[in-house]
Order: sequence, then structure tokens, then C-alpha cells
Amino acid sequence: MTAEYIDAGEAIDHGALSAVKGTAPRTSNVDYERLRTARSEPDNWMTYFGAYDGQRYSLLDQINTENVRRIGPAWIFQAGMSGHIAGASTYAFEACPLVVDGIMYVTGWDGWFWCLDAATGKELWRYKHAVPFDVSLCCGNVNRGCAVANGRVYFVTPNAQLVCLDATNGDKIFQKTIGDVRAGESASLAPTVIKDTLITGSAGGEFGVRGHVDCWDLETGEHRWRTYMVPKPGEPGGDTWPDDEAWARGGGNHWCTGTYDPELNLYYAGTGNPAPDFDGDVRPGDNLYTDSVVALDVDTGEIRWHYQFTPHDLWDYDSTMEMTLFERDGKKLLGHFDKNGYFFVLDRTNGELQHVSPFVDRIDWGVITRDGKVTPRKYPDKEGDPVHFYPGPAGAKEWTHAAYHPEHDMFYVPVADVGATATRRRREFKEGMPYWGAAVQVDIDDMAGSISAFDSHGEEKWRHRLDHPMAASVLATAGDLVFAGTPTGEFLALHAETGEKLWEFQCGSGHHSSPSTYTVDGKQYIVVPVGWGGWLEGIIPGMLGAGHGSALIAFALPD
Amino acid sequence: MTMADVPEDLVRGLGLDTQNAATIGQVLGTGSIAEATVREDGTMEATVRIKEDSISWDPAILVLPRGGDLELTVINDDKNTHACLLPSNGDQKFLWLLNHSKGRARINLDGPGYYWYSSPGGNDEGRGLTAAIVVQGEVPPEARLDRPPQPRPTKGDNS
Repeated sequence: MTAEYIDAGEAIDHGALSAVKGTAPRTSNVDYERLRTARSEPDNWMTYFGAYDGQRYSLLDQINTENVRRIGPAWIFQAGMSGHIAGASTYAFEACPLVVDGIMYVTGWDGWFWCLDAATGKELWRYKHAVPFDVSLCCGNVNRGCAVANGRVYFVTPNAQLVCLDATNGDKIFQKTIGDVRAGESASLAPTVIKDTLITGSAGGEFGVRGHVDCWDLETGEHRWRTYMVPKPGEPGGDTWPDDEAWARGGGNHWCTGTYDPELNLYYAGTGNPAPDFDGDVRPGDNLYTDSVVALDVDTGEIRWHYQFTPHDLWDYDSTMEMTLFERDGKKLLGHFDKNGYFFVLDRTNGELQHVSPFVDRIDWGVITRDGKVTPRKYPDKEGDPVHFYPGPAGAKEWTHAAYHPEHDMFYVPVADVGATATRRRREFKEGMPYWGAAVQVDIDDMAGSISAFDSHGEEKWRHRLDHPMAASVLATAGDLVFAGTPTGEFLALHAETGEKLWEFQCGSGHHSSPSTYTVDGKQYIVVPVGWGGWLEGIIPGMLGAGHGSALIAFALPD
Repeated sequence: MTMADVPEDLVRGLGLDTQNAATIGQVLGTGSIAEATVREDGTMEATVRIKEDSISWDPAILVLPRGGDLELTVINDDKNTHACLLPSNGDQKFLWLLNHSKGRARINLDGPGYYWYSSPGGNDEGRGLTAAIVVQGEVPPEARLDRPPQPRPTKGDNS
């Protein structure tokens, strides 16, 4: 005899078994006009960089050099983990939290999105995208943030999906596939809302994909345009590739958020390394538009100009990190601290180089003169011959962002000073397989780092030295403060003019994210995601064994 | 048996696919394979169950022809209580499974790729109550790279 089964019912949302409320208050509408003038609303942090110019600078000054010693944790949100995630050994909390009217939107690894009360840290709703366990993630299971506009939030997932959610409850409004996971594509950047569109970019430079920037209709998700960052034969720049199919696997991914000049209507996209990373013999030529800034017309996707920081890269020197927009002597400029160890200043109207200067102590891969002449010196050349060079493939500054203080005309830069050895090992290209062309080992016992201040001419003004390479973004405020987290967990406040350390707090895990600041009911908060991980074997292999974390910590002055 | 290129009798002989034999639990990746069926409306459906004293999901690998909506019947034939935590776009889906019970789960997954799921109760995961849902297929044509067809790894590459 067969006994009847007990009815177990229907599976429920895992989040229902928590204190999550499921809804958030409707905020004031964030439209393009507000995004365009975001810096004038320092109470909110409405875009990835805080403003389109990428300065990571806030006008808030309630927390300042006089009182920062008194700040402490106001709340902590612990994300934790449940279930089985892709790349479990590599997850990291790399995001920059956005805040609108006291409501915080923050993304995590493996398809997580959390909406929090920014005054209390209370979780209001959550969204979890299911990410395949086997998705190819070159540099960890990570995500850098979201975009907000018109009552919606937008983010990308590791399996290359663009997801649009209702900002009041996390319900999905639409989803678009933005890359080919079978080709090794993924996605990790925070999208950018511009006018009635949304900009995304590809990731997967270590798998020989063809990088691209995409534009989507903000309302419907309809695809507006795609511009490849590696041209086809016959297209402008196509003659910088050989006559075979190297271009089709050429890399040039846009995996960090770009900046935008509304007056010029130009989106400044940084692009990643060419593929294979270290085997240049299979791709003779400059390999445009890899390792470049590409200025795109937002309405059409047309490339207006470009500047290549490392022609024919043989060291994995992506140029995806921020293109900071600033003005000097009435001139519209763009500043960029590249993985190759040099600080570039360009005229952002036309890409004309203004000057180049080094920003890290050890550079021996080659030399770039102040007027931009590049001379490579050490690189993997002969099969099987190890070559050591500085900086290593994570660069003198990884993806984590500098900040710019316009009143001081000063950049604050998270600097990494570590070398690596690469031995060329040629391999055939196969779709979805890693395509480096070398065996690579980053130094583990000879490394240093700093938070360094440079004026916009490239002159170093001060340096806060660290034993480890820096691997987290910097935040500057009108309180004359510079905030940054270290790989060993300390969250620091430095004096913006002198570099003097004014305050620190041990957060319990290394920092690999971008802090932001905001106010609720007149009270200023500094918030930082804390969760060590990511591409540690490239950035700081000497810290590969440090524990992960998954906390979001907000600091404020006592009431 | 789901370990490629390993003789089935070796897996059984070593006791890899059995509870408290070679080791404490059943080794992940051993067990049966089944394919979901597709209804006329496009929804996929399948049944997974926990057999008595197996502390593992049967099938251990459920294969879907593509991404989309899947309706799962989940059966616990064991004389112990277990649970089920499934991946799904929006939130993971949780089902509590009393002894000799049957429930349902509606999940939505992207493809291609494969997902692990488990019983998050007690020590179920480690003992073997971790299984895979494999989603076949390609991404939509509009999401593919504009480039000539590229070579992919072949079976011979793995040998």
C-alpha cells in the first residue's frame, strides 16, 4: 500500500523567511536633469561616481577635519551568503552604493541587489538573480553598482544580463541579454543613465572576446546601438590589426563605468587589454581601440576621437578605470591614471594630449615621455623566457578609482607598486577558454602601496604609505577629507591638504570597493562596502589567503 | 553515473555514489541524469525526489533544453525531513519537505549554464543533497558577437 504524500505546498521566496519588508518608499523622481546636476545635490549619491564627471567628490562638509575623529559606525548591513554561488572563492564586495532621499541601492556578487534604509541599514527589499555556477568570470564574482532613474534601478549580472527593477519593491520590469556567456563574456560595471538611455559595456578580456559598448532605451530596454571597441578590417583602426582573425578575439572590453560631458554629448569609455594579453606576436600593430579612452557620441555610438595609452599592450594594462573630467585655465580636460603607471591629461574636446607623468615609483616595462612617446623595454617576447616587469598586470592602479578635489586641484590616487613575471606560452584560441598567451606570477613578497596626492600637472604633493598595494577607491569631500580603505581592513580618513591620518576604523575585512556619502535628515553618513576578494592573484597574491567579508558599514558623527 | 570517462563499476566499487561507503556522504556529481519535458505552452516540467536513505537528489543532474520557466515537482520519499533551496531569477525558492511529502516549485533560469541547488537543512548539502540543473542552448542571436564563427573546445581536448 502506498501512503498519500503530505502536501508540502509551493516553494516560496527565500527572502520571505527574513525580516525584509519587501517595499521601499517611493523617492522623488530622478530624471536626466537631476543626474546632469547631481553634484549640486550632495544629500544624494545618484550615480556611480556621484556625478557624471567621475570626480568622486562631495560638497558635504558636516564631517570634516575638525570632527572626523569622533565618527563611528551608525549601522552595519551583513549580506552573507546562502546557496551555491559561482566563483565562490573569488566573490568580493566591489560596489558603490547609491542613495536617493534616504533610500540606498547597492549591488553585490552573484546577482544580488539590496535596497536599504540609508539611516538605519534596515533591508527593505532584495532581488537575487540566478547566476550559473559555470559562468566564465575572469576576475571574480563581482559587480560594481547600479543606476537609478524614473522610479527604477538598473544593474548587470555576471552572466551578462541587464536587469531593470521597480525601485519600490524590486520587481523585475525587463531583462535583456547583453553578452554571450558561451564566448566568455560577462558583465560587472555599473550602468550609466544618460538622457533617455542607459549605457553598458562588456567584460571578458581574458577570453578573447570582441569588446563593445551598448546603449539601451531606458523605458523599454530596446537596443539603441552597439559600438565595438575593436574594428573590423576596413573600418577606421582596422589597419592596426593583422590580416587574419585576431581582431575578432581582440579584447578591448569596457568593464568600468565611463564618464560623460553633457555639453559635448560625449561618453568617455575606457577599454581593456588586447587578447591574448601577453602574446603580441599573434596581433602585430597598435591594436586599436584597446587600452584607450574612446569618446562616443551618446546619440549614435559614433566614435568621435580616441587616445591609446598603451599601444600594442604586452602587460595586461587595461585602461578601463575612470576618465576624470575637470577644468583648468578654462580648458575642458580629462585625467586618467593608467595601469601602466602614468598619469595622462587630455583635452577632452578632441583627445589632444596635454602631458604625461609617472605616478608610481617602479616602472620598467617601458617609458612614456611627457609628450606621450612610448618606448617598450621589457615584455614577454620569446616562448618560454620569463620576463619580470613593473607594474604587474594589475597595474600601478587597478580598476579602483581616484578622487579629484576641484578646490585644491588635487587627485587622490590608490597606488599599487608590485611587479610580476610573465613567460610567453602560446596557445590556440578556443571560444570560452582563457586566452592569455603566458604563464603569469605576481610578486608576493615585494610590494608596496599608497594613497598619493597629485596636482593636475602630475606633481606629487603628499603620500600616505602602506605595506600593501591599494585596492579600493578614494572619496574626497568638501570637509577637506579623503576616505579610503586598505587591503588589511582599515578605513582611513586623511587630511586632503596634508595627507595626515586623522581617523581609522578596522572593518574586519579588506576593502575592494567604492565608498560614497550622503545625508538623511541633515546627518552626513560615509558608507563603505567591505568584502575582500576578486582578482587577488593579480592584485595582491600575498593577500590571497585573507578572509572574505560581506558587510556594508555606514559611519556618522554621534547624535 | 555522471563522472565522465570513469567506469560505472569503478564508481560503485569505490562506493562514491553511496551514503557512508567510501566516505561519509555521497560524492557530488554521482547519481542519475534526466531531461525536463516541454509542454505546449513552452513551460518546462520535471520531477526531482529524495529516495529513502539516499540523502541525494534523483536525478542528480536535471537537463533543460533552454532557459525559461520550469515547474518542478519535488518529492521526499525519505523517512527524514529535508528542504530544497532552488535558484530562480528574482529570489531563491525555498520548500520545506516533511517526511514523505510532495511539493512544487516554479523557477525561472537563464541559459546557457548550470546551477547547483541543495537542501539547506542540517548537514544535507555535504552528504549529497546538492544537485545540478543544466540549461542548454545559446544566448539570443542579437546578443552574440559580430565575428566569424570561432572554434570551441572539443571532446578530444579533454582527453
